[in-house]
Parts: sequence; structure tokens; C-alpha cells
Amino acid sequence: MNAIVSIRDVVKEYQLGTTVVQALRGVSLEVQKGEFLSIAGPSGSGKTTLLNLIGCVDTATRGVVEVAGKDTAKLSERELTDLRLNTIGFIFQSFNLVSVLTLFQNVEFPLLLQRKLGAKERRDKVMQLLEQVGLHTHAKHRPSELSGGQRQRVAVARALVTDPLLVLADEPTANLDSTTGNQIIDLMKTLNQQKGTTFIFSTHDHKVMQHANAVIRLADGKVLERVSAREAVEHALSLGEAPQAEARA
Amino acid sequence: MTIFDPMMWLIAFRSLFQHRIRTSLLGGAIAVVTALLVALAGIYVGMKETLLVSATTLMSGHVNVAGFYKSTASSSSPVVTQYKQLMEIVRRDVKDLDYVVQRGRGWAKLISDSGSMQVGIGGIDIANEPGFLKVVNLKSGSLDDLKRPDGLLLFEEQAKKLDVKVGDRLTFSAPTYKGTNNTIDVTVVAIAGNIGMLSSWNTFMNDQGLRKLYQLNDETTGALQIYLKDLSKLRPVQEGLRKSFAEAGFELLDNDPRPFWMKFDGVNRESWTGQKLDITNWEDETAFVQWFVTILTVAATTLIFVLTVIIGVGIMNVMWISIRERTREIGTLRAVGMQRRSVLAMFVTEGFLLGLMGTGLGVLIGGALTAALNAAAIQLPKGAQLVLMSEKLIVTPTPGWIVFAIGFITGAITLISIIPSFRAARLKPVTAMSHVG
Repeated sequence: MNAIVSIRDVVKEYQLGTTVVQALRGVSLEVQKGEFLSIAGPSGSGKTTLLNLIGCVDTATRGVVEVAGKDTAKLSERELTDLRLNTIGFIFQSFNLVSVLTLFQNVEFPLLLQRKLGAKERRDKVMQLLEQVGLHTHAKHRPSELSGGQRQRVAVARALVTDPLLVLADEPTANLDSTTGNQIIDLMKTLNQQKGTTFIFSTHDHKVMQHANAVIRLADGKVLERVSAREAVEHALSLGEAPQAEARA
Repeated sequence: MTIFDPMMWLIAFRSLFQHRIRTSLLGGAIAVVTALLVALAGIYVGMKETLLVSATTLMSGHVNVAGFYKSTASSSSPVVTQYKQLMEIVRRDVKDLDYVVQRGRGWAKLISDSGSMQVGIGGIDIANEPGFLKVVNLKSGSLDDLKRPDGLLLFEEQAKKLDVKVGDRLTFSAPTYKGTNNTIDVTVVAIAGNIGMLSSWNTFMNDQGLRKLYQLNDETTGALQIYLKDLSKLRPVQEGLRKSFAEAGFELLDNDPRPFWMKFDGVNRESWTGQKLDITNWEDETAFVQWFVTILTVAATTLIFVLTVIIGVGIMNVMWISIRERTREIGTLRAVGMQRRSVLAMFVTEGFLLGLMGTGLGVLIGGALTAALNAAAIQLPKGAQLVLMSEKLIVTPTPGWIVFAIGFITGAITLISIIPSFRAARLKPVTAMSHVG
């Protein structure tokens, strides 16, 4: 009963004109608390769709999605929003920071939505996280003044500021060079180990994949297998999948 | 997160600042509409006040006690007998009284060496007319000389027609209320600047001189003009006076909100004889010129409404563009835990802020515009002078209208911004985040 995410027979269909496209075809999996789990698979395999369902920003066509013990299909829009705010942190491929706010304000934003902490406590918490991601000296900068790697580190800080049980990262290194990408994954891993936060991140880069405790391999909307990181990397290399970061380099 | 949260205002302000050109264009348009509203309101208030001050000083009090005296059933004279007793009652019973004056009323032929004209005559006791001195724009002579029993004040237009100047002698010829004709000689002691239509047909002379022309006794005058400290008390004062006069034994005509001079025909058809009092207020007496103010109000309101609708459509379009541009941001904010109502509040705050900044700027521009109009002392067209009793355009911006302009336009823009904001709030996070463009 230590699962933070439990998915059973989940189907997700999209209507494209007159055609129904199945993005997920009967996916079942469990993610335990404190895991550092990667979801791997080629483009179109359903990685993002799966993360969207776990993150409660989308709903399944059929099946059960439970997050932190709650069946998301039974929650109202308001309750889903509260679940996202208090239980889940998001790291996006394109960083998705609010451009008109400073780094400090971007990280502080979820705390303001929560309305649990006073101004001083918020400030201390935000500065502590910015220090952890190495950007405390840039607190007053705007996102446009930062590099991609720095922006993603802000996104990591924002995802963690509410002390969520679960952090979802959709291809967090896809827009970064390999060195910066590794730094971000190292940072996530460190925070996973220090705070015990569960991380689920999607990638098709074997260098990123190798940091995970376990890898869920997806293809054509189905879970193929749950393997160790070493096995997943070996499989990727045997198929000749070009590591994304290397290809860019 | 609510609109009371500083972060909401910060996002709204910075979003507006980020799109400076768009904000400037739209804010500028709002400012122009606001400035127009402030200026138009200033013109409206200025005209109304000018009309009120001129009309209530020269031809009407705030409340008037006039009367018809009928010696026979079919003919009436516009006089009030026992006016001193009536004045005592006014002074005793009107709590908000500023002051009360008596005015003689007449209609006579004024003859000079070179011509003649029919004019109305106001008989005044200049020593007890504080308001009159403020309104009349003396061009030559002395108003103090109206204390002379033969003193006459003319307006420039009349002096020009009759080809007379201060010191010249003229003759009044009028039928008295006893049925005979009488003449008196008068001296031009003052010539005043034209005051609208009044300058075309009315003159002022010493009240004793007027009594002499019409062979009236000292207890008789044309009307009592009552001035109040608080104009909102108009109706209660009228009602109170009707009661007081009736209790003192005076007879009154039924309440009839028409100017005094329009009632002659009706009164002459009635069978009674003797004295009946008629109580009116300044709005009744100037109803025939107030249509101009009403038309001005309707025109200004229509113009503002049309401009507000145009600006409203512009605002809505800009909000749509803004929301489209920020769809991914909305998706992100929803994903990290922002409730729908907070998204709605965020965009409505932006609309409100834009409205507030635009109207704030508009009030400044409107203030400067009204100051410039007043400084320019623009000559009114003849037609407008006639009804407004003023030669110059007077613009009076009032705090009430400024607050209204800010509140109305900002409120309209805020309301309009709700529609696109509501659409933004309804977006599913996943749909918004996957938006391209």
C-alpha cells in the first residue's frame, strides 16, 4: 500500500475528425513512493499522455487513475486543481515559467495559491530552494534573462516548493544540451534522495534514462515492460536509438 | 488567489507593460473617450449653471410668488398685492431662505429720438439685489444709479437699436391696469453686456419708477423672487408656502408647472375676480430654454455610449488576442494549481487596470482641455447665447462627473473583459498547454 500512483486498464482516446486515435491502450502500472522512475519510449508512444493523466491535467477515457490514494475520475474540477496544487509538482519540457514574474515570484507562485504560509516563511522557503538549484543570486531576474538550463532549474524549484509527494517531468532535458541536461537530472536525483519525493520523468535519451531506479518502456500506447535503468539503456543501444543529446551535439 | 492579492495586480500590470504598444493604443483610446466625457460633462454642467445663475437672477427666483389680479372676470393684471405681508410670511416660514426680493413686471413701448421697441420691464430695488450685481456685466454707467426713480438699464443690443448711450432720455408708454394709457420719462443710467434672449426683450428700471408708470401703490409688485441656500429643498419650500399663504387668507391658483406668462389665457377664461397667487420654481419658468440643455444631454450621452461601445469592442478583441497569446501560460498556471475563478480574476484585473490607467489619463487630459476651453473664452453662437443667457462658453468640470467618468468607463471595460476571461478560465490545462501560437 505504498503506491503513490496506481493505474489500471487505462485507455485514452482522442477524436481526430472522424477517426478515433488510441493514445493509451489498457495501461496498468504502480509507482511507489520515493521512486525515481523514467517512462521511455519513442515519439507517439503515449509518454506525455500518461504523464498528463497522472498529473490530473487530462482525464482517461476508461480505466482507473489513482493519485495519492484518490480516484481522479471521482474528483471535481476544483478538487483536481487542489490535488495538483498540493500533491503534484510539474516540470515542463519548455520550462513554462511566467515571463512577467521574477525567478523568486515564479517559485513563490504555488505557495501564494496554497495560502498556507506567511510572507516571511514563503520568502525563506523560496530562497532556500533557489539556493539549492544555485540561482539564489538571480532571484530578481526575469526568465528571459536566463539560459535554458537556468530556467529549467527554476522550474525544478517551482515544482518542489510546495513539498509535493510526486513530481512529474515531461522530457525535462529535451531542450537542453547534454551537460546541462545531466545537471538537471542530477539535481532531481539529489532532491529525490534528500526529500524522498517521487519523480516520474519521460525521456527517450538513454543517458537520462540511466539515472532512474526503474524504467517503464512504452510503445504504441502499451506498457511493454518495467526494467532496470541498465537494462533499458542496453535495450535502447541494441536497437540503435540515437541518443538525443548526442545527436544534437 | 483573489483580486485582492498583490501578485494578481503585479501580473496584470507587468502583462500590460510587456505589451506596451498595444496597451498604449488601447489606453490612449480609453483616455480620449474619458477626456471627451469629462469635457462634455463640463460643458453640460457649465451651461446648466450659467442658465441657472442667469435665469434665476434676472428673470426668476429659485421659487417665485407671482399673482394675477382680476378687476373683471375677463381681464387680469400680473401683480401681487400686499407683497410686504407675503414677504414677512416668506421670511418667517422658509427655513432655507438665502434672501427674497420683489420685482415689478411690465410690458411697454420704449421710445427714443431715433426709434422705438416693445420691451419687458423688470422693476428692481437695486439696494436689495445682491445676485443681480454679480450676473450683470456692466459696460457703461453705474448700477447704483438704478436707485434713481427714473433710472433705466439697457442691454447693448437694445442701446444699439435705439441709438442711445448713458445719460440719454427715453419715454415709456404703457396701458395701465386701470385701462388708461400712461407715459413716463426715464434716463439710461447703465448699459450691460448682452445676456442671451433676455437682452432682446427685457430691460430693468427702478421699481418705484415702474409703479409710477403703472400707477400702482407701494404694496403692489410683480412677483417675489425667493432664493434658497439649498436647491434640493425646492419642492418642500413650494409646498410649505402654499400652506402658509392659504392659512394667512390668500387665495392660490392650482399648482401648474408652466411659466407664469403662459397662464394668462387660462386665467382670463376663469370667472373669479380679485387676487390669486401663483407659485412656481425656476425650472418651471425656464422650461422653454431647458430643452436645449436636454438636447445637449441626450447628444452627449449618445456620443459617449457609442464611443464606449467602440472602445468596448476594441478591448474585447485585445483581450482575445492577449488570451490567445497567453494560452500556454494559462495552461501552466492551471496545471500548477490555479483555480478557474483565479484565472478569471487575473484577466478581469488586467481589464480593470487598463481601464483605470486609461481613465486616469483621460481625466488629466479632460481637465487640461476644459481649462484650455475656459482660457480661450470661446464666443457662443447667437442661437446658443439666446437660450443660455451667456456670451461665452463656460466649462465646469465637477468631481462628481469625474468620478462618474472613471467609474463608468472602467466599469464597462471590466465587465467587457469578463467574457474573454471566462473563456480563458474554462480552458482545460492540457488543451491550453498544448496550444501552439
